Amino acid sequence: MPLKHAKWITGIITLLLIFPIVIGLVGTLLPAFAYFPPLGEHTISLAPWRQLFDQGEFYASLKLTLITGIGAPILSLWLALSLLAWGYQRPFFRKIEALLSPILAIPHAAIAIGLLFLLSPSGWLVRLFSPWLTGFDRPPNWITVQDPYGVSLILALVIKEMPYLLYVMLATMKSIKARESLQVGQALGYSRFTLWRKVLIPQLYPIIRLPIFIVIAFSLTVVDLALVIGPNTPSTLAVTLLRWFNDPDLSMRLMASAGAISLMLVIVLVLASWEVAHLLFRQLTRAERSNGKRFGLTDNILRLGVVLGLFTLLNAFVALALLPIWSLARRWRFPDALPSQWTWDNIDRAMPLLMELSRNTLIVAIVATLIACGISLVMLETKRHATTTATALNRPHVFDWLIYVPILLPQIGFLFGLHILLIYLNLNGDLCAIIALHLMYVLPYVYLTLKGPYLAYQEEYLQQANRLNHRPWRNYVLVKIAMLKPALFTAFAIGFSVSIAQYLPTLIAGEGRYSTLTTEAVAQAASGDRKQVGSMALLQAVFPILVFWLALAIPPRWTKWRLALKTLFSKNSKRNQKCSV
Amino acid sequence: MKKSLIAASIMASLALTSLTAQAETSYLWQDTLDQAKGQTVYFNAWGGADNINDYIQWAADRIKEEYDVTLKQVKLTDTSDAVNRVLAEKAAGKDSNGSIDLIWLNGENFRAMKDNNLLFGPFSQSLPNYVTYVDENSRQSLTQDFGTPVDGMESPWGMAQVIFMYDTATLSSPPKSMAELLNFAKAHPGRITYPEPPQFLGSTFLKQALYELTAYRQALSQPADSVNFDTVTAPLWAYLDKLHKVAWRDGQTFPSSAEEMMRLLDDQEIDVALSFDISAASVQIDQGNLPDTVRSYVFTNGTIGNTHFLAIPYNSSATAGAQVVANFLLSPEAQIKKQTPTIWGDLSVLSYAKLSPAEQAQFNAIPRGIATLSIEELGQTLPEPHSSWVGALETEWRKRYAQ
Repeated sequence: MPLKHAKWITGIITLLLIFPIVIGLVGTLLPAFAYFPPLGEHTISLAPWRQLFDQGEFYASLKLTLITGIGAPILSLWLALSLLAWGYQRPFFRKIEALLSPILAIPHAAIAIGLLFLLSPSGWLVRLFSPWLTGFDRPPNWITVQDPYGVSLILALVIKEMPYLLYVMLATMKSIKARESLQVGQALGYSRFTLWRKVLIPQLYPIIRLPIFIVIAFSLTVVDLALVIGPNTPSTLAVTLLRWFNDPDLSMRLMASAGAISLMLVIVLVLASWEVAHLLFRQLTRAERSNGKRFGLTDNILRLGVVLGLFTLLNAFVALALLPIWSLARRWRFPDALPSQWTWDNIDRAMPLLMELSRNTLIVAIVATLIACGISLVMLETKRHATTTATALNRPHVFDWLIYVPILLPQIGFLFGLHILLIYLNLNGDLCAIIALHLMYVLPYVYLTLKGPYLAYQEEYLQQANRLNHRPWRNYVLVKIAMLKPALFTAFAIGFSVSIAQYLPTLIAGEGRYSTLTTEAVAQAASGDRKQVGSMALLQAVFPILVFWLALAIPPRWTKWRLALKTLFSKNSKRNQKCSV
Repeated sequence: MKKSLIAASIMASLALTSLTAQAETSYLWQDTLDQAKGQTVYFNAWGGADNINDYIQWAADRIKEEYDVTLKQVKLTDTSDAVNRVLAEKAAGKDSNGSIDLIWLNGENFRAMKDNNLLFGPFSQSLPNYVTYVDENSRQSLTQDFGTPVDGMESPWGMAQVIFMYDTATLSSPPKSMAELLNFAKAHPGRITYPEPPQFLGSTFLKQALYELTAYRQALSQPADSVNFDTVTAPLWAYLDKLHKVAWRDGQTFPSSAEEMMRLLDDQEIDVALSFDISAASVQIDQGNLPDTVRSYVFTNGTIGNTHFLAIPYNSSATAGAQVVANFLLSPEAQIKKQTPTIWGDLSVLSYAKLSPAEQAQFNAIPRGIATLSIEELGQTLPEPHSSWVGALETEWRKRYAQ
């Protein structure tokens, strides 16, 4: 990008990003040390921390958070890598990629409720086999969901995270020249899985390290999924904190802030341990990776991952398929496998709302994601420039770690501090405020998704173009951006779906004056009415799925369509010329 | 003659003073009505039930056409979100033009707002419909919201009472006391549960159980820290220890709300559901969420009941409009509509005796759903314990069962 004042622009963007983060952090830190003027707390003390460490529930929640928050990313990564290794060279894998997008796009609360309905003791699985096989006239008293160890929560997290990781990996495959490596390796007699394990995964990991970190932070701090399918006695730390923040006893907020700070520290510690573990793992497996063996027993780990991964995907699709059925059901009782009475009423009732909600949702998502794409391109261009000039040798810009702060911080503690800033600016309840808060959460995902492909781009293409015809801006758009289309479209689709799924930021910035499909769906989810949730989820899924589908469909057809349009246009203009003659 | 003349003149002057007083109130009220014209009232109300949202929409349409006040519902999942928002605004020094003009609340949330000076008022006792139709002596909960004096800072909207639901197709005689409930659970493991505290219905279940089990009922009207909490509550924990062993999902998890309990009842995962909404069963049958064999009932010795209110935050920019809304919602028209089971079924706060004969006839004509109990069948209402008990019971419950 031929930017003139790249340094200044990135500086200003960085400042704009730092400001709300600092305010949000201060708004969480001060109450954690008992400084909170609106409650008449003016003296700094450690009382909230003492109170926090006295809570047995804090430790129980923390334990559960660690189990689910570390278990889910490990599983997701393993399954995603396995699936990728297994399917990458198969022709039908392109289609699986398209099938992934609904799972990525549908808000997690809806998926969790679908899973609940599939797996609970009165769920569809048990219904399918009752009473003819199981003999159950009534649901058994099993604990299959909301189990105390969070197994069902981990499953829900994996369903959400594995497709995301897979998606990000697929977007980066071209830049590590996977196909070429595989061809060479297979020509040398390596088995597919061994090749992935020894050659491709070690290359892939550094590129997708940050998406993995985001997945970890998400698992550790997720609220809506944990509310629906996680255990509640105790709940995960994020849910416990949310409850404390919302406690009518306002002084609980101080302890909750201390808890939010602890959760941030936990995230940092877990990420650090993850990196250390990875380094150790790399050292330990180095000898094995370079022993030249064409097959290995550990290949079976990937094979098992494939089976589990496919099983997880199947689970997700059945859960999703159940939601539309629910939205058309009037009576659907255990042990019926299908509704006994059908109706359009559920959808009819939701229709008038849909128009307003869709408008709000689309405006916020599209504007926020477009801005995020623009900012990401500017920042990445500066970064690329910096890495190629000798003066700033690979020194990461402050922006690189700053943008992760919003998504690494627990939303609830951070956003309360920010809300006060919005009120000062008189922006509370404003559409711009919602877009701004969404941007904070959309930007990191867009930036991350773009970063790998953008920095891996062979700059020679652009240089060559400029040598032939020195029109930097035109060439930047027509050569570089055009070549990065798949990554850009993927980034847009992910950013879009991230925006659609935002609940707390929308609620806090919009103050309920602007409802989106998600705030409405979560409000409905709280009532536990599966018909309503089914209807809402159906409606809510349409837009992101459409965008994901377009993101996959447009890039390969772009040139064809563009040329077709061009011919059409030139034909028309010729015809016009004839007419005018 | 002279005497009667004097008497007459005294009467006349008395009548005149009261007339002036009335004229003054109506003059003041006219002022409020004028101010309210064109205002938009952001009404923060729990939005988890469609029928209630529809009722609020109906009220909004009526208020718009009659008073030119725009009522917009901001649907909350938890009322404390609104309390927190007002607090955040106070923290930011936004003492006018607040984002909330009216909140639907009671109990803990009211106490938190009142204690932190987050409320506008007093206003409720000067609302025309309050003066005309509400009898403060008819129910303690009209002036004592969970033991916190109302002091005119919130206007009553409706009354609620705990009811239980069961399916007559699977159960012939439901358990009608806490002791029977435990025996039933022992005979049918996994079929009894209650919402998880601090969800308000879960906390209410604890209070109901405590009320029935403790030997020190008098202590419940005192602040929880002024009595020996352990002694008073010991029978409750002993009871729950036994109940959880034979409860739904072995007492490892609990439903999150009344709505989830009704879903579980429909799925036949559990045998008894509870709700704070006396017409819940009829409404859910009507919407196809429960089988038409479900019926409501109450415990033999009564169940806990309370009043819910509307309050105005101190920094609202539309206090006049908010008062107009609160006043309209207190009108016989709105209260009759609200008590209609297919609409909402929430109990009226108006005094039956203060209504005109025509209005009484309208109340009498309200149809009841097939699963809704009549006022007589609802039986005795047990008072809410002092509001400090909610927090104390929740904390102890989570300490014992959520770690």
